[in-house]
Amino acid sequence: MRFGNLLKKELRELITKQAIISMVFTMVLLIVMGQIMGSAMEESFDTSTITLCNQDDSEFTKELLAKVEASKETDINYVSLESDDYAAELERLGIKNVVIIPQGYGESIIDKKEPAQIKFVSKMQNGGMAASMSTMSASDVIETIESVCTDEVLLKNYGLSDKDITLIREPMQLVEYTTLNGKTSRISASALSAVTMMQSMIAPFAIFFLLMMASQMIMTAISTEKIDKTLETLLSAPVSRLSVLSAKMVAAVISALMNAAFMIVGFAFYMLGMMGGAVDDISAAVNTPANVDMSAVADAAADLPRAMAELGLSLTPVSYVLFGLQLFFTLAIGLSISLILGAMATDVKSVQTLTMPIMIAVLIPFFISMFMDVNSMSTVFKLIVYAIPFTHTYTALTNLMNGDMLTYWIGLVYQIAFFAVCMFLAVKMFTTDKLFTMSFSVDSSKAKKSGFGAKKTASK
Amino acid sequence: MAAVLEVQGLSKKYPKKENFAADEVSFSVEEGEIFALIGPNGAGKTTTIRMISTLIQPTSGDALVAGHSIIKEPDKVRENITYLPDEAGAYKTMTGINYLNFMAGLFAKDKETLDKYVARGKAVCGLGDRLEEKIGGYSRGMIRKLLLARAVMTEPKLAIMDEATSGLDIINALEIRKMIKTLAKEQHMAFLLSSHNMLEIEYVSDRVGIITGGKLMVVGKIDELKERYEAANLEEVFERVVKNNEVR
Repeated sequence: MRFGNLLKKELRELITKQAIISMVFTMVLLIVMGQIMGSAMEESFDTSTITLCNQDDSEFTKELLAKVEASKETDINYVSLESDDYAAELERLGIKNVVIIPQGYGESIIDKKEPAQIKFVSKMQNGGMAASMSTMSASDVIETIESVCTDEVLLKNYGLSDKDITLIREPMQLVEYTTLNGKTSRISASALSAVTMMQSMIAPFAIFFLLMMASQMIMTAISTEKIDKTLETLLSAPVSRLSVLSAKMVAAVISALMNAAFMIVGFAFYMLGMMGGAVDDISAAVNTPANVDMSAVADAAADLPRAMAELGLSLTPVSYVLFGLQLFFTLAIGLSISLILGAMATDVKSVQTLTMPIMIAVLIPFFISMFMDVNSMSTVFKLIVYAIPFTHTYTALTNLMNGDMLTYWIGLVYQIAFFAVCMFLAVKMFTTDKLFTMSFSVDSSKAKKSGFGAKKTASK
Repeated sequence: MAAVLEVQGLSKKYPKKENFAADEVSFSVEEGEIFALIGPNGAGKTTTIRMISTLIQPTSGDALVAGHSIIKEPDKVRENITYLPDEAGAYKTMTGINYLNFMAGLFAKDKETLDKYVARGKAVCGLGDRLEEKIGGYSRGMIRKLLLARAVMTEPKLAIMDEATSGLDIINALEIRKMIKTLAKEQHMAFLLSSHNMLEIEYVSDRVGIITGGKLMVVGKIDELKERYEAANLEEVFERVVKNNEVR
């Protein structure tokens, strides 16, 4: 009985309307994201059809392909490329990747008994998990190609010895190309996965935590001042209201700047570390005591910095500064909104509830940018998502990497305007008696009814 | 003696509320005088005090602090008052002495004045070495003493204190009452207090105003009021004014 009474009280305190709203919100968000992810995955992981361009008319190659088609798992969609500009060709044909069997492939293997090259071009997608997934699906296609091209029975039929086969198979002469935004580079998509990871996972996470941390910080600071009534003391002292407000903002901005600076340095080193990792790969490959042709292995790993530059993925110092600027304004917006919301709090519980709008505004673009490319969404949806000022920071990195400066600058201008409005409201709040007459407390009627947690609102 | 505070028909109506929280409140407080606003919960004490402290703007009426209007010259008013809110806290991560320094820094124009303020604050609060400790570890009584010292160290013309001793034990409350009386007598500071505690008011204040439903019903010296109402004590006067709206 007594336990039941206690439990009822605890549940009433924990399961509030706000708590249920946030639970439902999280669920709906996950369901929607699941749907989006699901269709994206289906598209990406569909490896039952291989898009192939056969430029070799040798008997061997024909038989090889017939064998692939005969197998139940794989269909071949034949295309023909008109030029070597792979990025443009993929775009023209509307395909995500293509396997190219170059002219002389059969001749090279059967007649010269030499390993021959097969080219694999894949298109990297912008932003979000889709980018990472496009590299994953690429590796699946490669596996299929590898197994078919080194089919022992077929090779033996053409009179190749075991030794020849080993020689052909060992260094799988697969040359990979990746295209991004109309640019092509000789690099495997998987080698770029570290970069896409950074774009799609690490940056959003870092931005999310930075924003939440800074917002919570100032919200707690201002609401504590209000609840402890130190704010009343301050505002009745001979200091201007504006200086009280601006001191708070400037201090928060300085700490946010420090946060942003640490984060940018972290990013820079992350990128550096990644390239260092690529160099390690090469030295590991060089140390491998095998009778293999090193060039292919080296090709794949050695030139990550070159490939990133070719694809426009590397960030110049200017981009770092611009990204930092973007981050700064996002933080400033987050802080000013938190300041306004925090000043409305009348008790600790209402602080938690007041965090929700910011939390949601930060979470939506966080999830969206993690799972997909905002820029490739429909215009209406894009505008809605971009109306949330924080979205611009999540996409800034991708936009800067892609050289989409217009979107970047529009975002920055929008953020500055948004910040100005927030500051205007904050100033208004501090210079009138809104600070004391406007209040927000959690469900006071319910608290009174249940008999506990009835907090005293502004006493008259 | 000159009036330090002159309240003239001060009214406040909060948005979305039907009644006035303070309705045409008028009274004055003179130099060296301790004036107490007494009334039940929600009577309009805090609203009146907050208006005089320039924290909220009156709907109509005005108040002059040392001749300055709270509406037209709130900055000048703030230079002449200190305000101690009900149930106020202090910055928990600061030490007591840092808090006094910080607050003195908001009032003092030079280092010399600042040092003078802090020295007085130290003497008034009587916390001694505990001032070096963080406020987070203070008891309620210690925080109240620190805040009171803060409110009087700058020698304001008018110190406004909302429930100066609420929640304190008898010994602490007594000390604070004595402190207020001494400061009024020796430094000629004027005090505007609010309280529910009739005993405290009888002991500490020179004059009282009884407020209920936003209206200031009666103002006068305590003995005078007792005589007027033929009552044995202030509590009886209070009850008759608040419950029966009896105005004599």
